[in-house]
Amino acid sequence: MNVTPSSINPTPLSRRTFLELAGKGLLAVSGLLGLGGLSRFFSFQTETAVPQTFALGPAENYPPGSRTFISQAQAYILHTDEGITAVSAICPHLGCSVNLADNSFDCPCHGSRFALDGEKLQGPANRSLRDLSVEISADNQLTLLT
Amino acid sequence: MKRTLAALFLLLAVLTAVWANGRPPAPIPLTPTLTGETEYCLTCHNDLPDISAAHPTAVFGCVRCHGGERLALDADLAHSSMRGGANPSDLAVVEPSCGGSDCHSGAVSADRDHIQRVQTSIQATYAGAIAAVRYAFGVQPDPAAQLGAFAVQDTETNTGVPYLDPFNPAQETHPSILKFSQNCLNCHLSADPLPGGEYDRFTGCAACHTPTQNRAPDQLTHTLTTAIPYTQCNTCHNRGNYSLRDMAFHPRTDEANGRLQDYYQPIGQFTQCEWTLDCIDCHTRSEAMGDGDIHSSQADIQYVQCRTCHGTINEPPLTKTITDPNDIALRLAALNPVIDLQVGDTILVTEQGEPMWNIRQLDDGSLQLTGKVTELTLPFSRVMDTACEQNPDEQESHFCHECHAVEH
Repeated sequence: MNVTPSSINPTPLSRRTFLELAGKGLLAVSGLLGLGGLSRFFSFQTETAVPQTFALGPAENYPPGSRTFISQAQAYILHTDEGITAVSAICPHLGCSVNLADNSFDCPCHGSRFALDGEKLQGPANRSLRDLSVEISADNQLTLLT
Repeated sequence: MKRTLAALFLLLAVLTAVWANGRPPAPIPLTPTLTGETEYCLTCHNDLPDISAAHPTAVFGCVRCHGGERLALDADLAHSSMRGGANPSDLAVVEPSCGGSDCHSGAVSADRDHIQRVQTSIQATYAGAIAAVRYAFGVQPDPAAQLGAFAVQDTETNTGVPYLDPFNPAQETHPSILKFSQNCLNCHLSADPLPGGEYDRFTGCAACHTPTQNRAPDQLTHTLTTAIPYTQCNTCHNRGNYSLRDMAFHPRTDEANGRLQDYYQPIGQFTQCEWTLDCIDCHTRSEAMGDGDIHSSQADIQYVQCRTCHGTINEPPLTKTITDPNDIALRLAALNPVIDLQVGDTILVTEQGEPMWNIRQLDDGSLQLTGKVTELTLPFSRVMDTACEQNPDEQESHFCHECHAVEH
């Protein structure tokens, strides 16, 4: 095989070529950074999406008599004689999160009280806690729908 | 060469933009349950505590009360449309800040009309002082209120004062009234306080509901409470005297040494209960915040007397057993839970029917007050069946002080 000297020692870049390549490279980097910024700008979500479905895990985690607060859903899962039900923990007065007391849900903000089934006992709330849906899958997994 | 330099400058500019964009802290979103609208105020204000148990930040957010640009991350822009600066309860902006039918400008029947009541109250209008001084110097023919610290109206007046025009010093000519306007308008709820820590308070609702005792100068305070200590009342009251002679305010000069001296200026006599308790343990909401009517004098609105709690030699104090779970007394107790008030409890009520929810009549018939601020439990006695011979028609405090005063 014949090897020409020029393929081993390529011709050195001329100053002009180097500057042209450097300029194009800088433009390319600037363009990529700009595109990245634009992408970030247009993909920014100002409003936070509120999830409406929550996987609660296996039903056996909620034994009979249990009252479980699901903080991310702001809801209580109740396992009573009637089965597994859910009630919103958000007070219908102004939206505070109610606390579970011995036999009631009590709102720490303005004193509203609700029975364990969510029924209003005492204002200033003018309606009961909202009932929520709980679905049980074939493999005994609970899903809460708010 | 020029093109390469231009590209270099462009890259530097882009890098600078990227660097500048990365400098602010990462946005912290909050979607309050009350509004459902995401706001970014916590990006800079994440260290602020909830202003009160009744107003959790997670529920109210910031913008509902303070206003401002909820999505802005630039401080100047975010604050550009705030109401009342750092104090949205200033009476000039209180309606959009604190109002709303579920908040503090709701129905009278639901006892939710706080803003209307406060704006017509004697503490806000200062109408009593203005009328008294103008009447004293012959500027108006009678002491009925005509002018207030600001214009206000009451469309359903029970006092014969349907409106007040704003007091305008520029329209006054009497020298004493002019001095009054210069020296004596520091205490109504819209007035900026006099300089000095002893006068330190905010305006509007926060004048009373945001305690400022021992606050460093210009320290921001993020607190609202219904447990208002006497020290907050004393930022206006008991600080000195206004003299009609030179129409000037003369601050008290004594040095307080203990609660008794701190509580009252040395001009009178007071019973132990008066300085052991806080003002709000006895004085009611309508006395302090108004009853919805425009009054011409503090005396027209202040009605609690010793007999309200102690009764007279002929009658015990008025009581009421709570039967309705929606009773306002239960709500007030829930807002300041110094006692566990329940349906079935018997409490004292005033002659106007206001609940003294912190004063219970126990099963054995004895009376017990719980301090709304101190949380002290204080049993006390009725006048009936004691050695007291006080005429039931003479119940102003000075009559009681003749036997029960503590002097200082």
